Amino acid sequence: MIRQANYRLRRSYPFWLLLPTLVILLVVQVYPALYTVWLSLQERKGSGWVFVGIDNYKKLLGSAIFSESVGHTVIFLVGYTALTLAVGFGVALLLKNTTLFSGAYITILFIPWIIADIVVGLVFRLLVVPDYGLLSGILQNPALFPPAGLSVLTANRPDPWYGEFPFPPSPAMVFLIIAAAWRALPFVTLLILAALQTVPKEVLESAQIDGASRWQSIRHITIPLIMPAMVVALFNLILGGMNGVGMVFSLTGGGPGTSTYILSYLLYSIGWSRLQFGRAAALALIIAVVNWLLIVGVLRITRVNERSR
Amino acid sequence: MSSPAIGNRKKWGLFLTNLLLVLACLVAILPIATTVIISFKKQADITRNPPVLFPCDTPQKRFDLSACRWATEGYQRVFAPKPSESSPLGFVLTGKLVRIYIPNTLLYAVSTALLVMIAASLAGFVFSRYHFRGHNALMAAIMAVTGVPLLTNLLALYQMGISLRKNFPFYDDRVFLIFVYVGFFLPISVWIVKGFFDAIPRELEEAAMIEGCTPLGALFRITVPLALPGMASVFLLTFVNVWNEFIVAYLLVSKNELKPAMFGLYDFLSQNIINLQVIAAACIIIALPMVVLFLFARNAFLKAMVEGAVKG
Repeated sequence: MIRQANYRLRRSYPFWLLLPTLVILLVVQVYPALYTVWLSLQERKGSGWVFVGIDNYKKLLGSAIFSESVGHTVIFLVGYTALTLAVGFGVALLLKNTTLFSGAYITILFIPWIIADIVVGLVFRLLVVPDYGLLSGILQNPALFPPAGLSVLTANRPDPWYGEFPFPPSPAMVFLIIAAAWRALPFVTLLILAALQTVPKEVLESAQIDGASRWQSIRHITIPLIMPAMVVALFNLILGGMNGVGMVFSLTGGGPGTSTYILSYLLYSIGWSRLQFGRAAALALIIAVVNWLLIVGVLRITRVNERSR
Repeated sequence: MSSPAIGNRKKWGLFLTNLLLVLACLVAILPIATTVIISFKKQADITRNPPVLFPCDTPQKRFDLSACRWATEGYQRVFAPKPSESSPLGFVLTGKLVRIYIPNTLLYAVSTALLVMIAASLAGFVFSRYHFRGHNALMAAIMAVTGVPLLTNLLALYQMGISLRKNFPFYDDRVFLIFVYVGFFLPISVWIVKGFFDAIPRELEEAAMIEGCTPLGALFRITVPLALPGMASVFLLTFVNVWNEFIVAYLLVSKNELKPAMFGLYDFLSQNIINLQVIAAACIIIALPMVVLFLFARNAFLKAMVEGAVKG
């Protein structure tokens, strides 16, 4: 009761303390989002903006580069999340099984995460610069990759197998996935490791006594128990992958051709290279809606998890 | 149970685990290590075909330690030292990266991190301690805002910057950029700080208030000191995020002397297509401070990372 009385003493405190946050978010986040909705219905003609309705959406959805970029994005996200989650899970299991030097391992393993995406892009680019990169020395060997060797940054995308869907991906896309996974791996490892440490030892031990093999106890006990953490990691990876554009910038620049255009890079390209802001706004909203759906999903899952605890 | 066979198997398991972990560490380090090596090569060794990992080969031998041709050419081109009488060291660094871009980045990162920390602490405290109408809706709204992609808002912020620049004589790219950064990194920080405040028992504040402390006094004497580690990790996380950020500055900064380091690095790429040692040296110079910071404040980072991921 005392607490209630004292907190009520100054009813306006919360408002004043929240004010700076609310003002900043209104100006930097809410207003721009609303402006983008307006912008997506406009087109620049001559001197000013003209209302064109859903024309921007129609043109965007009808363009070949949009559907191609959707394909690239799907391939990028599937490859990058699968690679990161699988390796992250493995490394987390290893880290949990060792107490010796685990501090040193964690420190070293986490260095990639602290390096900027644009620097990571450059670091990986240095490895495959045509002719002079260290990996190019191996990959461009015609004996290994007939007929002419593989130059990651300039090799074109192979002909698609399924209609227009850009599969198999270009070598540059594969390399982009590896670079992105390399940087995201520490983050995923940490999330999964934190979850692994909450798996009660007694349960694993009793399973062992009941005759479960190691693989069985991972499959039937550990994985279900850390599933919420995996899902959180997955959503974070998808959000980061959808929105991160720095690595594409510095590693491939969208090329060769358009073979590493993912949606966020397409947005940049439509908006700032071609200066079609209306159409870019339409694309931005599509990306934002997909993002929101994912966040609502993750909220659902973490809430369910809290309730069951 | 402890038969020698099982003991042996355990030993092998442990050995295998450590072997695999060392391998993972190598994968994490290798790209960085090659970059460091490239940054110390000479131009003549960079443009060799086929490329060599170490510039240590002689016509007779593939590797000869005494024949290594290490050079600091890359770093010299980035730092561009020039002799100077007035400087206490005898030279001044004239490279744009160290003279303009990195100081800019420091300014942006420190001011953003400070502002985010203060605003997020106030808001996080309110969300943790007060219950008012719309409390949950507001928190959910702040979360929803995190979901708007950076680039989406940049379309509008870019136009906003242009019209402010035209119509507002006191407009400054730097102030605008910092403001935008604060807006981008604030929502997640509010959630993180709220988590840290939630972990501090209310009873402590209540006891202080029974003793005659005002609510604000209790906040600053009891709660804030206890929440300091949490606030520090928000500061660090924001600092690193701004330091590593590229696209916002790339699109919002128009003047050369206001560019941050990541933008400057991108310029380096186009100017040094073939001077890989210069690109590598610039990468190392920009990334090294963050790696060092991480090594010193590892736990604060890891904590904020998990906290932020689960909340955001």
